[in-house]
Amino acid sequence: MNLNTEAQKENTYDAIVVGTGISGGWAAKELTEKGLKTLVLERGRMVKHGEYPTATKAPWELENADRPTQEDLVRQGVQNRTGYTVRQSSKHWFVNDIENPYSETKRFDWMRGYHVGGRSITWGRQSYRLGDMDFEANAKEGIAVDWPVRYKDMSPWYDYVETFIGVSGQNEGLYQLPDGKYLPPMEMRCVEKDMKKAVWEKFGRVITMGRTAHLTAPLSHDKSPQRATCQYRDMCIRGCPFGAYFSSLSSTLIAAEATGNMTLRANSIVHELIYDEAKGKATGVRIQDAETGEQVEYFAKVIFLCASTFGSTQILLNSVSKRFPNGFGNDSGELGCNIMDHHLNAGASGIIEGLEDQYYTGRRANGIYIPRYRNVGSDKRDYLRGFGYQGGGSRQGWSHLVAEYSIGEELKASALTPGPWTLGIGGFGEFLPYHENRVTLNRDKKDKYGLPTLTFDAELKENEYKMRKDMVNDAAEMLEAAGAKNIKTSDNPGGPGLGIHEMGTARMGKDPKTSVLNKFNQVHACKNVFVTDGSFMTSSACVNPSLTYMAFTARAADYAVQELKKGNL
Amino acid sequence: MDRRQALQRAGLVLGYAISAPVIAGIMNGCKSTPELTYKPVFFTEEQAGLVSEVAAIIIPKTDTPGAKEVGVPAFMDQLIKQCYKKEDQDRFLAGLAEFDDGAKKAYGDSFMDLESAKQKEYVKKTHDAALDAAKAGTAKDKPFILMAKELTVVGFYTSEEGASKILQYAPVPGAFHGCVPMAEVGKTWAT
Repeated sequence: MNLNTEAQKENTYDAIVVGTGISGGWAAKELTEKGLKTLVLERGRMVKHGEYPTATKAPWELENADRPTQEDLVRQGVQNRTGYTVRQSSKHWFVNDIENPYSETKRFDWMRGYHVGGRSITWGRQSYRLGDMDFEANAKEGIAVDWPVRYKDMSPWYDYVETFIGVSGQNEGLYQLPDGKYLPPMEMRCVEKDMKKAVWEKFGRVITMGRTAHLTAPLSHDKSPQRATCQYRDMCIRGCPFGAYFSSLSSTLIAAEATGNMTLRANSIVHELIYDEAKGKATGVRIQDAETGEQVEYFAKVIFLCASTFGSTQILLNSVSKRFPNGFGNDSGELGCNIMDHHLNAGASGIIEGLEDQYYTGRRANGIYIPRYRNVGSDKRDYLRGFGYQGGGSRQGWSHLVAEYSIGEELKASALTPGPWTLGIGGFGEFLPYHENRVTLNRDKKDKYGLPTLTFDAELKENEYKMRKDMVNDAAEMLEAAGAKNIKTSDNPGGPGLGIHEMGTARMGKDPKTSVLNKFNQVHACKNVFVTDGSFMTSSACVNPSLTYMAFTARAADYAVQELKKGNL
Repeated sequence: MDRRQALQRAGLVLGYAISAPVIAGIMNGCKSTPELTYKPVFFTEEQAGLVSEVAAIIIPKTDTPGAKEVGVPAFMDQLIKQCYKKEDQDRFLAGLAEFDDGAKKAYGDSFMDLESAKQKEYVKKTHDAALDAAKAGTAKDKPFILMAKELTVVGFYTSEEGASKILQYAPVPGAFHGCVPMAEVGKTWAT
């Protein structure tokens, strides 16, 4: 009895954070900076900032010109569905699919990285704010449930996270895409500038430089001395030894560590939340050590689930008790439902003739951005919501020679001159929350740790398919306006999940009967559990969501600490 | 012309049999069969020899090194073994055999026995016909010659010599400038 009490004391913290990605890193930083002794759990292996094995490798130092081998594809066939994740330079940041199975009632592309830092190492770094057009849309259109917040609630928190992480971009004064606290934007290439002008003149649509979490100038604070400005190597997915883009490894986890309040435990797979029926609270989590197989319980006053949308949902679904027979906090029955992503791979590309005397220096890991204009203002379409475009223009390199007639000396000579300019844009479309797009727990199929696996049943529907027609046709029209020739359109939706922006399976809302979380990301039915990864999203908007997870996480942590001090948790 | 047959006939005339290695030696004297610079893990020696020659025709040695000099044949051999699906490996090998048969039909000799000018002519002819078919949309699969070309180009321009000396490569550019006169940049960036 004494021994147990001692063990429990040793394993007790003020707070537990599950996950070390974008959201977990922020929760760790905020909670530790506010003085909470915090245990941060990561299911994957330990990685520290700077431990990026391929980060400085030249093209010739990567086997098989960076291509995946057939053996790689046996282990990571699902992870390779993007076509860009499983490379010799990046495959170590993505899971082994054989060891981490899931089931697909309909095709679903679930891209994951299990290691400290999570997908904050490999994310696309595009950082946009949701605005009131997004927060009000569900209520105005009678879709799903209303967001329990508005832009005025979130705007200071967007300011806060942007200032800390450093986002470069250009303010445009658009209602549908709020301005932010930006470091200088990156430069456009010649054809991009021309396209910006042409599209504004012909359609009145704005083209802005991609807003990206890269330091284009030093940060305005001195809290992250380890972070240097962008070196334009465009090898971001490998991890940045300069700390030039935001990741939890390069930024928030270092800040959390510096407080002396963080205990980081890798290889810790959370199986479930421990619920105390008498107290009506979660008292901790039960984990399995991935290396030893040992099961351990940890305890805390407040728990932040930041294990990724489906990671957290899996833990919640697996945490059953008398009070929560259908999954933790699932009084509404919405847990696991309303899966959203962004649907993409719809757009066009073409060739721009001329400008052969122009080129560029440096490798810009960013593109141009066309903010949403459909169903904005007086524009009305036969579908709801809209899409933004990401894209860019550049000169073709040597690879275009494969399809040219030259060989021999002629090929060698022509390789010295870059090929023609190409220009392309692809849409990122809003995905409506459909109750029936859901993920469920399959207790009959367990992974090697004994955890029940997930089964996905989600699909694009009519609204998304109608929108895609515009995504393709508008792209071609704008390229035409920019003077592009030989325009080719593409429309390959793939499976949901391919945007790697999964959201919505523990949505927030005003009514506990129809949502899992309240406006502070707090589980309606259990006040000391907060969920701040993409699962809280009530709608998807059409912009990249990570910045929004950061803002909500910081806000939730602030609220949690206040409530803790008031004795309310 | 069939050198092997001619030599064997000569052997008979002279009243003694010439052993295979000697034939090989004499043949090398006739038309220098280039030695492999690596030990293939996927190709047979014969296949490897042909692939090396095709690669060297696609990207030859000029005042700068060519495909063979920077190790492209070994790159191709390893990549096909490790990265190609079995069906694509088979298709590559079948295409290679067909390519060689085509040489025999057109010139009466296997590709490796052709004079260098004829080898170049045949590669160019096969290559252009394959591209025509690809552009016309009549090609079923990517033929051997275009698979070989792709691998040669990729292998060459991702090699240290190809990327950093023949083209240019900046490991740490440090800055990005979106509009720079071509004359100032000089030549194509490797990446």
